[in-house]
Amino acid sequence: MAFHEKSAWLMAVSLLLAGGLYYWVVVTLSIEVNRPVPPLVPLVVAYTVLLTVLAVVGHIAIAVLAPRNSSSVLDERERLIARRASHAASYVMGVGTLVSLGIYLFYQSGDLLFHSVFASLMLSQISEYLVQIVYFRTSV
Amino acid sequence: MGRRPPITNRVRELRDQNGEMTQAQLGKAIGVTRQTIIAIEQNRYSPSLETAFLIARLFDVCLDDVFQWNDEGQT
Repeated sequence: MAFHEKSAWLMAVSLLLAGGLYYWVVVTLSIEVNRPVPPLVPLVVAYTVLLTVLAVVGHIAIAVLAPRNSSSVLDERERLIARRASHAASYVMGVGTLVSLGIYLFYQSGDLLFHSVFASLMLSQISEYLVQIVYFRTSV
Repeated sequence: MGRRPPITNRVRELRDQNGEMTQAQLGKAIGVTRQTIIAIEQNRYSPSLETAFLIARLFDVCLDDVFQWNDEGQT
């Protein structure tokens, strides 16, 4: 498996893990107070730090386990895959933003707007790495 | 996503004819990863024109001797 495919797997799993934890806390707190909790700075910071640590430690581990491939730049096929995955992710972000705006129109809640846009961003990033993995494993 | 390109190739055969060159060696010689060579050989990826010419020049053959258009692959 190429370094960039391993990297895509790592980022997809890290984003799913960090995003899952983030929204587990948000949903749990929201159920407790019976309304959407406002964006919590410590929680956003914790999400960012966790994601950064997972990404950095994971990439170091990948590089140590396969040092020959670790410094390889993207070749033409990998660049094409990255471009197509980014294109697909932009649709996820666009749809997520539209849904978020719809939610705001109906509920007039800035807190809900923040959570839905943040979720759209996470889903967009996750979908980008998942699409990359699919292209790495099939035809492009 | 997943549609195979309508182009077949003889890269594997040419590697074998040229001292059993490995996929990694070929990839290094033309500036792509081993995984991209594997994808080309399995018809999962059609290389750019530049890479196609690099492969042909490396094996000292014409482009047509490496890559062939396959009409059946279009459907």
